[in-house]
Amino acid sequence: MIAYGCPVTAPEIYERHARRGIESVAEPGAKVFGYRATSSIFRSCNIILDSAAACDDLEALVLLHQDAEIADARFNAKVRELMRDPDVAVAGCIGAIGVRSIAWWEGAVTWASFIHRYGEFGGGDLPGFAWKAGKAPPYARTGEVDAVDGFLMVLSPWTVRNVRFDESLGRLHGYDLDFCLQVRAAGRKVVTADLRAVHNHSLDLVSDPEDWAEAHMRIAEKWEGRMPGIGQGGRDWKQRARRAEAEAEAARASAVSKQLQLEAREREYRRIADEIEESISWRITAPLRRANHWRRTTLRRR
Amino acid sequence: MIVFASSITDPAAYASCAEPGIRRVAEPDSEVIANSACGSISRSYNLLMDMVAERDDLDALVLLHQDAEIVEPDFCRRIRDALSDPDVGVVGCVGAVGVRSIAWWEGSVTWASFAHRYRELGGGELPGLTWNGDETPAFASTGEVDTVDGFVLVLAPWTVRNIRFDESLGPLHGYDFDFCLQVRAAGRKVVTADFRVVHHHSLDLVSNPESWLAAHMRVAEKWDARMPRASSANGDWKQRARRAEAEAALARTEAVAAMYQADARLKQLQRELAEVTESTSWRITAPLRRIRALGRARRR
Repeated sequence: MIAYGCPVTAPEIYERHARRGIESVAEPGAKVFGYRATSSIFRSCNIILDSAAACDDLEALVLLHQDAEIADARFNAKVRELMRDPDVAVAGCIGAIGVRSIAWWEGAVTWASFIHRYGEFGGGDLPGFAWKAGKAPPYARTGEVDAVDGFLMVLSPWTVRNVRFDESLGRLHGYDLDFCLQVRAAGRKVVTADLRAVHNHSLDLVSDPEDWAEAHMRIAEKWEGRMPGIGQGGRDWKQRARRAEAEAEAARASAVSKQLQLEAREREYRRIADEIEESISWRITAPLRRANHWRRTTLRRR
Repeated sequence: MIVFASSITDPAAYASCAEPGIRRVAEPDSEVIANSACGSISRSYNLLMDMVAERDDLDALVLLHQDAEIVEPDFCRRIRDALSDPDVGVVGCVGAVGVRSIAWWEGSVTWASFAHRYRELGGGELPGLTWNGDETPAFASTGEVDTVDGFVLVLAPWTVRNIRFDESLGPLHGYDFDFCLQVRAAGRKVVTADFRVVHHHSLDLVSNPESWLAAHMRVAEKWDARMPRASSANGDWKQRARRAEAEAALARTEAVAAMYQADARLKQLQRELAEVTESTSWRITAPLRRIRALGRARRR
């Protein structure tokens, strides 16, 4: 039996996304652990793992965020295929190698078969590079990775029964990387697979920067020297501090630059829109648009 | 006498920005020095200082970037006012306090009577904090600061004769902050004054990130624990490195988020514009606009 688990903080979001996706793929008799979230995602996920661990017929546990929607008609077949390798402990639809911190996306991303769907600015989709079948870039490949994104993780029965999220690390950030590191430290594999999902998420990538920075530091401290790459960057701490302080300020300037470019672009569009709205041809056709608007409104009322 | 001086890498930029501004405000006896750049900006500025340091009649040396245009009609009187305090070594129109690095804008900016004018995307202007005199925020004030932006630097005669830009720091970045630190370490003041300048500049704020990073590190190393009035970050080096690496990763992620947001907003604007340009009324009136455009072209 493939089970599904989701910590829920906003029931309406869960209903709209995670539950809809689960219902589209769940087989008869599948268990769904849609639990109200507790104080941290670490704890919430552990509660789900404890429940799933008690299922004797467990083939896999699909742990997903409330805003993640599985969009893959062959999802279960793919999960079963993955679980045939007894060394595979965690699978995801996005993953990277060369990961050094909880910012796993700063490693080399090898697979990303998902869509980031946002609601801001009228809404839109940002498809991952492996979303469109047959159009993946040359570096795209499924298989073993350092870590997968935690918005959708498929866990093997061994993982569900033997590994737990480290509740000492914080409330939210880095839980996925730490979990993957634990699994790898136990000699098992973390892999990506062509599982398709939509992540309905704001364009703000880090909602609480201070918590995020704290988690970054704690996880680097926990794993440095125990797993290759994590927390590394040379042993000269002074040089590392100097370099990183400079990089942080350069990146902040880059973000400001992007913001200025956006403002400039908005002004450009406003100028074009104003020119159109002030043109004779736009003004003389105003009665036509009013008539058309009236016609559409009347039709809708009927 | 007030001397205006620039180091030029792009003569067209100088001719369209710095030169008209200088002509607008120069006094009859002012001297204008337009040198071609020689190596780094520090070396170029040192050469300009050497050229005027011995002049007994020097009231001030105004060092300005080729893309900086002074638009303050009362410029000379205002800088004379600022330099009437013999302790003042440097005057600028943008400055900040609480500065810890060459990213002086991460300190608290207290004055910014400039406008950033860009050419990209049809061109436009981004006014500084105190560009519009009647909309100045309550926290804005001229006076002593840690550093000023180097696109316009007004130097007192004492400064011209006693301080030099540090040519060991690199080709471009951080020269202004280091210079202000030297002036302050010598016991003189760096201040902002209310004169208005337009900076004609691209929207890319850091054009050469690797050279910027190197300058950031060199200046930090040079002034470590010696920066006047600046408290340094706490913690041992390992702790600082951990913190800084977290903040750097965070900042890079936020830069990506800013890019996503910009792209999303752009798509929304394109959709809105397409609604208009693809509407029936806009399409059926296309011949009218073509006739009008033809008429305009003929008149020209």
